[in-house]
Amino acid sequence: MAHPRLWIAALAVLGLATPAWADPDPRADARALAAKIDQLIAARWQAEHVTPAPLADDGAFLRRLSLDVIGRVPLVSETRLFLRDSLSEKREQAIERLLDSPGYVSNFSNIWRDLLMPEANADFQQRFLSANMERWLRKQFTENASFDRIVRELLTMPMPNGRNGMAVYYGPQQGDPTPLAFYQSKQGKPENLAASTARLFLGIRLECAQCHNHPFSHWTREQFWGQAAFFGGIRTQGQNGIFSPLSEVADRRELAIPGTERVAQARFLDGKEPQWRYKVTARNTLADWMTAADNPFFARAIVNRVWAHFFGIGIVEPVDDLNDENKPSHPELLDELAHQFVRHGFDLRFLIRAITMSKTYQLSSVYPSAASPDVHLFAYMPVKGLSQDQLIDSFHLVTGTPSQGGRRGFNFNVNGFENKFTNQEKRTEYQTSIPQALALMNSQLVGNATHPSRSVFLAAVLNAPFLDTDGRIETLYLAALSRKPRPDELEKYHRYIEKGGAAKDPKAALGDVFWALLNSPEFFLNH
Amino acid sequence: MSRFDLQLSRREWLRLSAAGVLGASMSGWLENLANAVAGNPERKRSCILLWMNGGPSQMDTFDLKPGHKNGGPFKEIATTVPGMKFSEHLPKLAKQAKHLAIVRSMSTKEGDHSLATYYLRTGYRAQGPVQYPPLGATLSKELGDASSPLPNYVSVAPVTFISPAAFTPGFLGPEYAPLIVGNQGFGFGNAPDYDRALKVEDLQAPNDVKREQVDSRIELLQGLQRDFVAKHPGVPALSHQSAYERAVRLMRTAASKAFDLKDEPAKLRDRYGRNLFGQGCLLARRLVERGVPFIEVTLSAINGVQVAWDTHQQNFDQVQKLSQVLDPAWSTLLEDLEQRGLLDTTLVVWMGEFGRTPQINPQVGRDHFPNAWTTVLSGGGIKGGTVYGKTSPDGMEVKDKPVNVPNFLATVAKAVGVDPTKQNMSNVGRPIRIADAGSKPIEEVLS
Repeated sequence: MAHPRLWIAALAVLGLATPAWADPDPRADARALAAKIDQLIAARWQAEHVTPAPLADDGAFLRRLSLDVIGRVPLVSETRLFLRDSLSEKREQAIERLLDSPGYVSNFSNIWRDLLMPEANADFQQRFLSANMERWLRKQFTENASFDRIVRELLTMPMPNGRNGMAVYYGPQQGDPTPLAFYQSKQGKPENLAASTARLFLGIRLECAQCHNHPFSHWTREQFWGQAAFFGGIRTQGQNGIFSPLSEVADRRELAIPGTERVAQARFLDGKEPQWRYKVTARNTLADWMTAADNPFFARAIVNRVWAHFFGIGIVEPVDDLNDENKPSHPELLDELAHQFVRHGFDLRFLIRAITMSKTYQLSSVYPSAASPDVHLFAYMPVKGLSQDQLIDSFHLVTGTPSQGGRRGFNFNVNGFENKFTNQEKRTEYQTSIPQALALMNSQLVGNATHPSRSVFLAAVLNAPFLDTDGRIETLYLAALSRKPRPDELEKYHRYIEKGGAAKDPKAALGDVFWALLNSPEFFLNH
Repeated sequence: MSRFDLQLSRREWLRLSAAGVLGASMSGWLENLANAVAGNPERKRSCILLWMNGGPSQMDTFDLKPGHKNGGPFKEIATTVPGMKFSEHLPKLAKQAKHLAIVRSMSTKEGDHSLATYYLRTGYRAQGPVQYPPLGATLSKELGDASSPLPNYVSVAPVTFISPAAFTPGFLGPEYAPLIVGNQGFGFGNAPDYDRALKVEDLQAPNDVKREQVDSRIELLQGLQRDFVAKHPGVPALSHQSAYERAVRLMRTAASKAFDLKDEPAKLRDRYGRNLFGQGCLLARRLVERGVPFIEVTLSAINGVQVAWDTHQQNFDQVQKLSQVLDPAWSTLLEDLEQRGLLDTTLVVWMGEFGRTPQINPQVGRDHFPNAWTTVLSGGGIKGGTVYGKTSPDGMEVKDKPVNVPNFLATVAKAVGVDPTKQNMSNVGRPIRIADAGSKPIEEVLS
């Protein structure tokens, strides 16, 4: 073993997986999993006689990767550097760079805040509470906490029991960051907490079983309340809704089923009997089971959700409904992703690295022939609508306009422009609204952003001594669409600008081109 | 035809049509704009929702308890319908009593502003992952014409911050989002310039961008859209194209003159009341005339001063002021619709998220009370001159024919000719009825 690097090289040449003990490069295992993804996806293409789309070109790849990993489009300088780079490894390097950037932390904190507390997007009281949880999430992603640790901390968080009960009232931006707001937003109700955690972390929809046994679901009412009983000790004091202080009765492992004479005992959803231990609370016992490596749901649910983030659709759809009747499109792939995710200590960045390294993720969104194959075969990248964060952050970045910053934390300064863009669950079926179109066409914000002297960005492009008309057009394309214009586009816009457009002014005409790019579906969507 | 037409499979067409994406013709979207207005012999019904933000006091509007200590100082007056009496501060409405059906037995069990607003507007409790659409979205989907140059759902002066999800189209998607005018947003209303507030936001480009420049910009955009759609024939790209098409139609159509209230005679505008709510009701009539099937008008602020119906203090003072805004607006709306032959096909609903406590608190206010309160149905589809249900002499409980939220919304749906059991596919892949399973319309108030 004098030369481990030689060994690794030899293994790589032979196409064998590098053993973990000899792994000096954290990317090697991700590379292997990416290859496995491609192999399993390609097997289905073969079986279905489907030809995949070609790989996306560099600009399209970088734009997609940036939106998915750091929640915004790339800067002009980032795109220029990337397009110029001739290294064969440049896509891998871009993935590493983005995963190591603060943008990754804020993007995934925002995504998980939306998932854990969707109420906070719609309710100003919830918004107030969510600020502290946002800090807690940012801490997790900054530390690259493993996903099992994040969920464990959320599930086992001690209730205030009178201590600091009012702190959450007055200072969600101060004190230790905790996920308490999650419990508050569910009003401390065991049934809400059980339903929400099962859906998010196990991909199980229990809600329907809350009131009755559902004919199409194999979850029974007993199982629902058995799961809820793990949260059965949580109490709310007073009638202040989500602001009511929370406390917990220790050692409570049962819950009366409302409207019945029966009491449900805490039971795991896989039917296993909890092994109660001295001084270990019900929620800790639940967390042990839920985040265990051999839990049949946990890893599969999260890898499916992460997959769906990058592809717009899950291997199982809907992403939070993993059940026997709802088959995955690629069962082996789901198993393999889950297996590797567990093997790598529930490391989200490992999973993201592998998915984004795969050829499957890097396919073009343009399918070359008229009859595009079933989207669930992943033979091309589906077009996805942007989240509110992605759209607003990208808009401000591209136009150089300041954000109102009203979408996070305790901040009511939401302006009319930002408010028009909301998250949609089915991003591959995203629908644009009339007010969105009007705001992007006619709002004063866009008017200023496309005005040759009021827009800082346009003024800079116009005054840069090293740019001619074609160079200016190219810069606008790089900013808004992260690609260079095609020759036909360049020619068309060159002519338009030289003629000066309707205003007979080449500077205003450049603003017209920028306006059209900002309003284009290519800017508005992730592809 | 463009390339994407050929690329769409039959299945995709059906899916897109069902999603409302392909409602209008995709070609020539700057031409043939204003023709589709009105004039439809198969005219469907419209609904105007008068939304009383904050929860109006039933005890001081439509269910007075004179002589009881809970009753307060307001007097009851007779109306043009024998036996039907209500507040002295609604004298003009009293003359329209033959059009009103008063439901005095609302019993809705939700006393939180946010949750109750969601419940009353969608018919469902906010629970789990389902994003329930409000009635405005579901009814305008059923009654609306996808090719109309005007949007099918218009919301005037909503106070959305209290429960924003109740003002989105929910799982029906942005195709059914309300067009909001007179927006009071997250903060409180300060829109004394109601003429300006009631216009569509961003309907015209900023002043320094001339019409010719807008046209040439749109032409550039169309090229980019065609290009993108040809390569990406799916819902997101087509919906983008469709939204822009409809937005430009709205920018260009003469029908958007509906939002310009200066066309109306000054005397009529005076009768509605020179305030945001009164003029909003006038706008609602103008939109109904132009075939818009669902308009809601929120009464919360009076000329920029936030009064609202959330009268924990100084209840009587505030209710009197609000009544003085409500009375001329609503009664003139009914008269105006009737004179134009539109009342038979237009339902006007009056409701808030809950009622208020019969007991008067030490601040001379009334608090949240969902147990026994009042809503009013008026106009088309309604058996006017009706009082439905009854509360106890102290107002504390419903004594007769309690009405829950699903039954009330089923009644509204049926009054405008929509089957309340009609299902829409939800965001969780489960079909959801317009009014919750098991609900029944109140036949006694329907004509």
